[in-house]
Amino acid sequence: MKRRTFLLSTAAASGALLVGWGLMPPRSRLGDAARFATLGEIALNGWLRFAADGTTILAMPRAEMGQGVHTALVMLAAEELDVDPASVRLVQAPAERIFGNVATFVAALPFHALQADGDERPVGVRAAQWMVAKVARELGINVTGGSSSVADAWRPLRLAAASARSALVASAANRWKANPADCRSENGKVFHAGGQSAHYGELAAEAAVRSPGEARLKSRAAWRLLGSAVPRVDVPAKTNGHAIFGIDVRLPGMLYAAAKFAPQPGGTLAQADTATATKMSGVRHVVRFPADSGGAAGIAVVADTTWQAKQALEAMTLAWNAGPNPTLDSDRILADLETAVRVRSGFNFHDRGDVAKAFGAAKTKLEAWYRAPYLAHATPEPMNCTARVDAEGVELWVSTQVPDFARAAAARAAGVSTDRVRLHARLLGGGFGRRLEADVVAQATRIAMQAGGRPVQLILSREEDMRHDFYRPAQVARLEAAIDDAGTVTGWRIRSAGDAPTPRWVERVMPEIAAVDLLDRSASEGLFDKPYDFPHQRIEHVATRSGVPVGYWRSVGHSHNAFFSESFVDEIAHALKTDPVAFRRTRLAKTPRHLAVLDLAAARSGWGTALPEGRARGVALHESFGSIVAQVAEVSRSAEGRPRVHRVVCAIDCGTAINPGIIAQQMEGSVVFGLTAALYGRIDIRKGAVQQGNFPDYRLLGMAEAPVVETHIVPSTRPPAGVGEPGTPPIAPAVANAWFTLTGERRRALPL
Amino acid sequence: MPIAFELNGTPASLESDPAMPLLWALRDVLSLTGTKFGCGIAACGACTVLLDGAPVRTCVLPVAGIEGRRVTTIEGLAATRYAALQTAWIDAQVPQCGYCQSGMLMAAAGLLAQTPAPSDADIDAAIGNLCRCGTYQRVRAAIHRAAKALARA
Repeated sequence: MKRRTFLLSTAAASGALLVGWGLMPPRSRLGDAARFATLGEIALNGWLRFAADGTTILAMPRAEMGQGVHTALVMLAAEELDVDPASVRLVQAPAERIFGNVATFVAALPFHALQADGDERPVGVRAAQWMVAKVARELGINVTGGSSSVADAWRPLRLAAASARSALVASAANRWKANPADCRSENGKVFHAGGQSAHYGELAAEAAVRSPGEARLKSRAAWRLLGSAVPRVDVPAKTNGHAIFGIDVRLPGMLYAAAKFAPQPGGTLAQADTATATKMSGVRHVVRFPADSGGAAGIAVVADTTWQAKQALEAMTLAWNAGPNPTLDSDRILADLETAVRVRSGFNFHDRGDVAKAFGAAKTKLEAWYRAPYLAHATPEPMNCTARVDAEGVELWVSTQVPDFARAAAARAAGVSTDRVRLHARLLGGGFGRRLEADVVAQATRIAMQAGGRPVQLILSREEDMRHDFYRPAQVARLEAAIDDAGTVTGWRIRSAGDAPTPRWVERVMPEIAAVDLLDRSASEGLFDKPYDFPHQRIEHVATRSGVPVGYWRSVGHSHNAFFSESFVDEIAHALKTDPVAFRRTRLAKTPRHLAVLDLAAARSGWGTALPEGRARGVALHESFGSIVAQVAEVSRSAEGRPRVHRVVCAIDCGTAINPGIIAQQMEGSVVFGLTAALYGRIDIRKGAVQQGNFPDYRLLGMAEAPVVETHIVPSTRPPAGVGEPGTPPIAPAVANAWFTLTGERRRALPL
Repeated sequence: MPIAFELNGTPASLESDPAMPLLWALRDVLSLTGTKFGCGIAACGACTVLLDGAPVRTCVLPVAGIEGRRVTTIEGLAATRYAALQTAWIDAQVPQCGYCQSGMLMAAAGLLAQTPAPSDADIDAAIGNLCRCGTYQRVRAAIHRAAKALARA
């Protein structure tokens, strides 16, 4: 059993196994310079190398999928190093433990948001976080997800840069027989008060001997980059066609594959008439492959071009065996979820006071049922992977959020050890959680195994991509409020039901530990961790297994749970004949950050002021991934009779704002992503098969429907939190709440 | 019979199946990967190029249809007057993941060729391209910015 497998299975089995492990503080994530030496370049630690011409080279572990992480991590390094961020060259970080994402695993603990960070954390929370951080550092799994990359890199990357800078300055001082205090660094050079200067490339060899240098981080007052809208490092190449996504990889001798998959989960290929296809122009191979790493079984054509492969695929007559759930139906699943809420108790995620007593004594009780459908990711770059398999092992070119799991999937598929799989990470044409999976890596590897050592690029058609996704789970919830004689909300009780994505994902990416059905906070996040000060609360979730493949979808459980909870809070406000902002304010006295975000959105949106005839505002406030977002949406009724959203005012407290320009971009993008789901998003399953296949039936919001989004950032000196996802959850309830004000009609099911 | 056409200002020819969509000929035969595959049914616009200056969706355009015509892809945009769009795109920090942006830029170039000073309604009507990252408001701002720059030029 490999070390990682052993650690994972032990961690999963006992949950508390840490006695005797060596201490690995954050400093241990700098990486030993000697280990990262490269010909012609000098490493000062695992993250940073310097070329002879002085160029700074940053090892980049995280996947750029639009969220701006390459720019943000460059900024963290460039700030402490005193280099121009536009001059930093990025290279793919190797598969090393120091690049594991610790923050995302700590954030997976099922703690209430109000207790999970800050100095006021209870001892038990601190202890659990410390233990998980230790395990995560030991495992070193590289994941780009959970809006965690900047929070994770915040200390180790700045420490790596600061210690490199101090070693460079010390080397210069030594060379000039000067006091380091008389030397300063600027724009990739060290200067001495006496007039000498040297660039980092000239100093790196000596600095390597002195590395790691003292790591003293800059004070905020000394920042030149952090907190400003530094232009994104990836933008120029994304305006001239030069940016290379996974699908753009071109290799000598490369072939192209198109595939069809079993329509039902768990289905298999029964029969294939390939006689015509194999004789068609450009066709090289026909490959059958089994289900693997969550991917469906299917058949592929390998040809000289994608078009030829597609044509040959269409010329085949295929028959499929049904999966184990041939009658799977999303409407019936939703009905079953409602039953589960009625008859099962579920896991208790949050308990406060005596909720039964509060409801027993209530003068008024409100009850509402909410529901959300399955959703596909619909990444603009269809799922694809390029693989070459030969006697040496496997080589992959792929856009992925999980390079370690991708390598592991290829190793399993090819029957080689993981260290014989090399992976070249490329830009992601959207991720949104879909590229946390390695299904297509396993499929491409199995296809390439039959291609005689030539590289093969497998591209899924849009239809196969949409029909073989890992869907945002459908969810149903019953929300109840108890209100006493004085009109005060005393009780807040929620029971939800839906599939938990985490254990299903673990089964796919780490089948070694698949036996454990993990507790999954993501199913209840956005319900159990609301900031409102209701004295008696009980929030439960019934984890179901529908048979539909489910996965992580931008903002995960928050994506539907914020719609449930923030719509219901609005219902309570209206039942009490209170303004929805004013009602929320009365319950946020103990949570000033939330109150400040709400107030900022209300003020900037002109909450309470008159609007043109036919328009109404709605508000929602939601915390996710460590950031608090409030949105006020201005809505009218479209010609189609749907909500038409004109303007969204967005306020965010994401801790220290690293790049306000990217934060604004992410709020704009999150609103469009969430609004697309709120207005149109639904995946239907009939007789085991997904019905939607392409954009006409899985509609995306277009230019003409896109609202104007304004972003306002609350100043903060807390550590940075997430920005890629937290803008998505509030938009659906903000729009639904505006729709209620506009029409008097309460929409409790998505899509609206 | 090879299909002769002009590609980004240079004579070019293709020997592929005349039914092959231009998208795949550009990407797989000519290795010009800036033009993207998104849907295969002309629904998303990621594959947009200019054909004789007008935007077309190449995932449904057989190469037979380009004989003797001028094709401009994202790789050739900088050599045209619509390079102003690329500058505006950078100034407005439009792209996120960037996958749809080649198509967006080519559709915008087609719009400005037809309508040098487009209104918001003109942009809504002309830019049917889909962007999953939600860059629409920046696309709009960048088109206006480029239109102004071109009017001054």
